[in-house]
Amino acid sequence: MSLWVDKYRPTSLGKLDYHKTQATQLKNLVQCGDFPHLLVYGPSGAGKKTRIMCLLRELYGAGVEKLRIEHHTIVAPSKKKIEINTIASNYHLEVNPSDAGNQDRVVIQELIKTVAQSQQIQTSTQREFKVVLLTEVDRLTKDAQHALRRTMEKYMSTCRLILCSTSTSKVIDPIRSRCLAIRVPLPSTEEVCNVLTSICKKEGLLLPPELAKHITEKSGRNLRKALLMCEACRVQQYPFSADQDVPETDWEVYLRETANAIVSQQSPQRLLEVRARLYELLTHCIPPDIIMKGLVTELLSNCDGQLKTEVAQMAAYYEHRLQLGNKAIYHLEAFTAKFMAIYKKFMEDGLDAMMF
Amino acid sequence: MDKLSVGDKAASSRPNRWVDPSFTDLPGESFSLSRRRKVVCANAETKRPRKRAGEAGSSGPHTSFLLKESAQRDQDEPWVDRYSPCSQAELAVHKKKIEEVENWIRVHSNTSKGGVLLLTGPSGCGKTATVQVLSLELDLRVQEWTNPSSQEPYSSSQHGEEKPLLSCQCHCQVRIKWRMNGLSCSSQLSQFSFLLRVNKYNCLKMVGDGGATDRKLILVEDFPNQFYRQPGSLHDILRRFVKTSRCPLVFIVSDSLSGDSSSRFLFPRDIQEELDISSISFNPVAPTTMMKVLTRISTLEAGKQSCGRMCVTEQTVLETLCSGSSGDIRSAINSLQFSSLPDTSLEKGLLRMKKDIHVTSLSKAVSRTNQRKKKSKLKKEQNEEQAIGGKDASLFLFRALGKILHCKRGKHEGAEAADCAPGPDLPSHLSHLHREALLVDPELVVERSHMSGEFFSLYLHQNYLDFFSEVEDVERASEYLSDADLLTSDWTSRSTMALYGSSVATRGLLHSNSQQVSVGFRPLHKPNWLLVNKKHRENSLAAQSLFRSFCLTPVSLQTELLPYLAKLTNPLRNQAQIAFIQDVGQMSLRRFPGRLKLEALTDKEPAQLERDSEEEEEGQAGVEEGLPASQPKPTTSQVLLEEEELIIEDYTSD
Repeated sequence: MSLWVDKYRPTSLGKLDYHKTQATQLKNLVQCGDFPHLLVYGPSGAGKKTRIMCLLRELYGAGVEKLRIEHHTIVAPSKKKIEINTIASNYHLEVNPSDAGNQDRVVIQELIKTVAQSQQIQTSTQREFKVVLLTEVDRLTKDAQHALRRTMEKYMSTCRLILCSTSTSKVIDPIRSRCLAIRVPLPSTEEVCNVLTSICKKEGLLLPPELAKHITEKSGRNLRKALLMCEACRVQQYPFSADQDVPETDWEVYLRETANAIVSQQSPQRLLEVRARLYELLTHCIPPDIIMKGLVTELLSNCDGQLKTEVAQMAAYYEHRLQLGNKAIYHLEAFTAKFMAIYKKFMEDGLDAMMF
Repeated sequence: MDKLSVGDKAASSRPNRWVDPSFTDLPGESFSLSRRRKVVCANAETKRPRKRAGEAGSSGPHTSFLLKESAQRDQDEPWVDRYSPCSQAELAVHKKKIEEVENWIRVHSNTSKGGVLLLTGPSGCGKTATVQVLSLELDLRVQEWTNPSSQEPYSSSQHGEEKPLLSCQCHCQVRIKWRMNGLSCSSQLSQFSFLLRVNKYNCLKMVGDGGATDRKLILVEDFPNQFYRQPGSLHDILRRFVKTSRCPLVFIVSDSLSGDSSSRFLFPRDIQEELDISSISFNPVAPTTMMKVLTRISTLEAGKQSCGRMCVTEQTVLETLCSGSSGDIRSAINSLQFSSLPDTSLEKGLLRMKKDIHVTSLSKAVSRTNQRKKKSKLKKEQNEEQAIGGKDASLFLFRALGKILHCKRGKHEGAEAADCAPGPDLPSHLSHLHREALLVDPELVVERSHMSGEFFSLYLHQNYLDFFSEVEDVERASEYLSDADLLTSDWTSRSTMALYGSSVATRGLLHSNSQQVSVGFRPLHKPNWLLVNKKHRENSLAAQSLFRSFCLTPVSLQTELLPYLAKLTNPLRNQAQIAFIQDVGQMSLRRFPGRLKLEALTDKEPAQLERDSEEEEEGQAGVEEGLPASQPKPTTSQVLLEEEELIIEDYTSD
């Protein structure tokens, strides 16, 4: 029994639930049997990968769904061995080059070269190019992106690239201009509700519209998250009730409690406790930038309107440092301390104002 | 033991003796070469058997031997050896410590079951001397392992240390030097099991032995190199020893400030507990004790050399020596001997160099030293240059951290404080930034802690919150730490920026602690960050490899899929996945976490982050190395192998 997310994933462009005009355009794009390099971008959970897989199926047929995990060992010029896992079918290769950290340039070049140099055997029945799908392109180093630009041109005849990222801001211009950019926006609230309802129907469940709406709001229209939430609701309680609690992930709850702890008391001891909680989050695989973002959201909802601009500005400042710096905890903690100081001052000023 | 004496004879009859004759031919050299008196004595004996008869007959053999020796020895004999302590009173070790060791030896030598004792402490604090003196007083024979040093041409391409030589010395009456013939292929390791042999056999009664007891004590100070490579082999031998032991075994390990703490490496906690090893740690010799010893020696010398060949060492010079040796009595005595060499011109030259002014008479030099002395008492951390015998003063991490965190400042604008912090007062709008002069030099502290600035900052970060009382101060301190991290973030410029980074961190912390309240003793802890970061990476890698079949990006996998999988009842593919989800996907919400398991930092602990640091560098900066993908958990790699050929059905479900 697989997850609903995977079980009900549409497999052809015609079966997509939303952004139907875009789906038609994509279909037209590959109609002639060829397509340019693509840069698919959009927020997480909007359906980028789903669309890409549908596109590939449209091109190559069902064979593209026979996936296998391959383990590659690539030797960098510095004689260092890099190990990377790829997911591949006979027609395409999917790789997340940011797995290789700083050596992503070598990984990209080597993998694309290997794929591009092997010609397809039956060109009459099949396409004469293979597809390399690179995920998380925005996490590539600049080095790798520049290398990519050269490689893209060189192997154009035998290889097409599909780049997948959440935002284009970290993708360098030359790459953006070489690709056809396709934006996949988040589905609207109604669309998410529709998908949830239809999937529940397929599962033989009855989903109250209120709950569907609730889930959609909680998930932030992230369809993957919405489906996971819905499934978790099903585990939690069935039949559904309209005012049922939508289960949140543990780390979100934990983060909210952390934010509450920060707001309720401002002292070095409390900061020490908060630090322990931050460590706890980090060991549970929550990336530092996500922690930062979540923390800011929770803190903003807790503090007065006057403070909000200042807090947001500080958050941006420390988030930037977090990206530049080496050890995330310094910056997370500095942000927390800063917030504590501002908040304490604000509360004390407020108290003084009340006295006089 | 008869075997031993046979070996002895065989060895001495061989032309190619293991002792280097040049030792005794040039006694002056032994000053630099020999670390301990024993070696010299041993050599002396082979070459000069003249004294043996006299010694052996005497009732208080050791002392008389020593005195005679010292009387007849050259001037050039190191004072360290000549004035080595021969009674408890002369030991420059705290009484309690001596008592502790004595009790242990008493308890363990009286029972038939031996034990293992580990003595640690900085070099030159009297560990060996204590054992020697106590064994003498308790009438125990000391049998000691010395690493065989090879004088023969190498028989193979191996290191010289691999030479199979074993000398087992009893320093009282019976000295056994014994060369194992025809064993050049056996390793030091196999010989080290002499522990077991010594245990088994008693010493032959010698004529004139004075009915010495057969109680003995095994002393190991040198360790065969093999043990540093594979501490496990030592542990195996020890386990065997403990099972069969009949006499006490004493290990002496000097503390070192550099990364490899051999005592921790050779005797990890678990082994200490398993084998019931008692451990006694020595402190550096206290200045007052040291002064006493130095004074005694210098007066003795002066009395002996009343003709004035040696000049009497001034009290102040002694004090300087004492403060410069940082508790190492061996080096202090050595420098005393050096400084009181008859060649006064040399001495004065050195002194003058030290003072950096032209002094012609000793008296002036002395007065100058006095001044310096006063000054250094006022400003504790003034780094005193020492011409003779100055040891590199170094700080244990614990103290170094304390110096920064406790933030000692001058209490008032005294003359000496104004001396080093001149300049006009701050303008009124900046007056809240005014601080009293620092009593510590932060850069010096970091340098002496033998750590890279980044790690020092990590340690500071782990501990600084305990020393702050105001959130505003904490805010500024944390910002400085964040700045410091930013300065060192780029690996290309890190080597240059590291110093600035640590400077910013330490000075920032010192400055932002405006309250100056004395917090009293606070335990210090090791940084959690390294562990947390390592776990974060390990878990992320494990998550990716375990749940590769979901085809998700790491972020959505870790923040969306895993936590929800923990809430679902989906049957998962294998045990590893289930375990991982329970471990990582779920968080215990009830618990309001105190601290993670904190590892307390003890005062003697040197920095030991070498390996972690490498990983850290590698993962964070990735100068040359990529993510350590090669080291996921064992379970993970296994799973990877299993899944390698697996075809994913998730996409094929139509």
